Amino acid sequence: MATAQPALIAGSARGYVDFPPAQPADQRGSGGTPVRLRRRVFWVVVTAVALLAATSLLMSSAQAQVRVIGIQAAPQAATASDLYFALSDLDAQVARLVLIDDADALSGTQIDALSAYRERGLQIDTDLARAVRGATSDADRELVTRLLGDLAVFREWAWQALAVESQLPPQAPGKLPPAALGYYTQATNVLHIDLLPTAKRLRDASRTRLDQAYRDQLRTEVIGIGLAVLLGGALVALLVFLQIWLARRFRRLINPALAAATLITFGLVCSAGAVFLLDGERLRAARADSLTPFLALSQARALSYDAAADTSRYLISANLEYYKQDFTAKSGCLLNGGDCAAGGLPAGSEAAKRWQSYRRDHEKIVGLADAGRGGAAIDALTGIRRGDAAFDFSYFDAAISADADARKQAFDASLRSAERLLTGWVEIPIVAIGLVLLLVPLGVRKRLAEYR
Amino acid sequence: MKLIRYGLLLVLALAACDAPPAPAPGPRPISCAAGTITAQGSSAQAAAVNAWIRNYQISCPQATIAYDSVGSGAGVAGFIGGTGDFAGTDSPLSPADQPAANARCGTGPAIHLPMVVGPIALAYNVAGVGDLRLRPATVAKIFAGTVTSWNDPAIAADNPRAVLPSTTIRTVHRSDSSGTTDNFLKFLTTAAGDWTYGSGKVWPAPGGGAEKGSNGVSARVAETDGAIGYVESSYAQFHDLHTAAIGNGAGEFVTLTDAAAGRTVAGAKAASAGDLRLTIDYRAPVSGAYPIVLVTYEVVCGRGTAALVKSFLTYTSSEAGQAAITRLGYAPLPSGLRARVAAAIAGITVR
Repeated sequence: MATAQPALIAGSARGYVDFPPAQPADQRGSGGTPVRLRRRVFWVVVTAVALLAATSLLMSSAQAQVRVIGIQAAPQAATASDLYFALSDLDAQVARLVLIDDADALSGTQIDALSAYRERGLQIDTDLARAVRGATSDADRELVTRLLGDLAVFREWAWQALAVESQLPPQAPGKLPPAALGYYTQATNVLHIDLLPTAKRLRDASRTRLDQAYRDQLRTEVIGIGLAVLLGGALVALLVFLQIWLARRFRRLINPALAAATLITFGLVCSAGAVFLLDGERLRAARADSLTPFLALSQARALSYDAAADTSRYLISANLEYYKQDFTAKSGCLLNGGDCAAGGLPAGSEAAKRWQSYRRDHEKIVGLADAGRGGAAIDALTGIRRGDAAFDFSYFDAAISADADARKQAFDASLRSAERLLTGWVEIPIVAIGLVLLLVPLGVRKRLAEYR
Repeated sequence: MKLIRYGLLLVLALAACDAPPAPAPGPRPISCAAGTITAQGSSAQAAAVNAWIRNYQISCPQATIAYDSVGSGAGVAGFIGGTGDFAGTDSPLSPADQPAANARCGTGPAIHLPMVVGPIALAYNVAGVGDLRLRPATVAKIFAGTVTSWNDPAIAADNPRAVLPSTTIRTVHRSDSSGTTDNFLKFLTTAAGDWTYGSGKVWPAPGGGAEKGSNGVSARVAETDGAIGYVESSYAQFHDLHTAAIGNGAGEFVTLTDAAAGRTVAGAKAASAGDLRLTIDYRAPVSGAYPIVLVTYEVVCGRGTAALVKSFLTYTSSEAGQAAITRLGYAPLPSGLRARVAAAIAGITVR
């Protein structure tokens, strides 16, 4: 081993103060100073590499999880909700078509219903295709297959109802040929007994996956912050310890390279911890403030369409009490939460106020139908004047759709923001720790040279 | 501790810079007017008008608009009689109605605003035939009953590559009075040359099956092998019926699309800049034009009309208004004509 040479002179010119030469370490401890220095540097390097691996991997994992939430879990939940809504409206449009038949004065409503029926059909097909692509288990695929089969049956009954009605002589307003009523009853039963419960299971499964994705994200966040603090803290401590040790051993006030490495490490740890924290906060806020309300509104919207279809069904069925009660129950769910699983409308919201207007329209229509005034009931149902059911429902739908769209856009924006926040964070630790790994040997190189 | 604080502040500042951008401005909102207006008229445009009323009333809570789908004749009568603020009609005012409408307006003439373009489809149901092409003269022969089977030489000449069955042709027409019938007959009268039954709202030729409404015609075509009928394109679309490509004045067979129908309307001549009563040339040699179209109008007073009428029609003639009705099977007004309609509406004075 080289004997330590005094290093007295040029220190101040290099920006730090040189103290009197240190005592040869090999005279005072096992292994000697160079060995101990190398050992300390070794542990610094090992800790730095561990910190690098942990932050880069966890950041990469966090990025992947944001993508999983944004590209898979949340869209799947939205698709499942949309599917439930589209199925509900599909039956509502069939009910409208059956009710208005070929009445001249309602040709506008007929085109609108045909158009909406076609749009919902395409929407359902698209949602089912997405559900198949996004299915992660055999159970999900089985649900989609069952939906496809039941949907074919529903369409068959629905079109038979419409075909039979068009082939038979026109009836009094609101009166259906018995065969058309029979086929429609089959169709709406398929929807309520088979299709909607299956769609609900698909929706629940997608919500479970969304919950899991958020739990995974939270775990990564906790581990990320924990490891960043632990390994980063350890690295800072080792660097500080090395700084102090060098100062004492070699009588240097400060080692600039090590000081820079310490600052870089400290900055990296603080930044990485803050990024993990902020990203998690953003994702949680996006879910609580945007995604969950959006899904609840989608659910309420689907329920509202199904409830509104009960008004048509009441007329079609020649005033079947069941549909009156069904409407009351669904409307109760929308306004008060009710005793059903579906979420209600936000209390005091514009949508809730407008739903109350529709409920009054419904009660008026039921009253007209009960009084035997089927024609007036259909006019009140299909009219688009203010106070007519068709307009008031559209007015309600505009409010709930605007609210839901705003929530969805806010969620998408928050998710993009969360994704942007993580951008570059696989590379940043590599650069920062790379610098640390360069600075540490640079800082000790001259000290080791003193022993050559 | 200061370093930690500054580090966190720096990251928070960066995060704030990364905050979601402000939402882009949406489409220009409807310029609302308040009040109540009533209109009546054409059932062919009822779905479009209903959609516009719904959108307008949703955006403008102080406005109430009613449109009764009672047919063009009753709509014009209501306008002349003063019970309607505007009328929806499938055909321009007749020479007899125009002075009466002008008198109703008092301070100025009643003007025509073409607002809804409804392409008319020839929907068919023929075994093995998925790509049918028909020249106007062939269409006339089919509906006149002089061509009776699908493998007739006249049809074969239009479809040289198709294998046509010998199935009997079963034409289906409207049993009720309709603007769709009127415009289809005008096309036959003008473009086919040898159509001898003339035009009008009631089907004039013998034979064929009669059904009430476009939905009835569509249903009959769908359930009858060998059937062909004329329907508003929305019904053919919603019933998933095949539709024929029609020969135009440029010698092409053109399938029905919004753009193709728009080319025929774009070539129509208007009476004047203020009164856009159109004359459609079904034989115009316009490449890519689908020739069978129905254009319906709003008839309104050019001076002293209600502010709500002007505001509502400004919306219906806007890009957003025209886009709103495409989902119902209507074609949007071609951009040049739409601009002229918008200019005509801008020139309306309100009381």
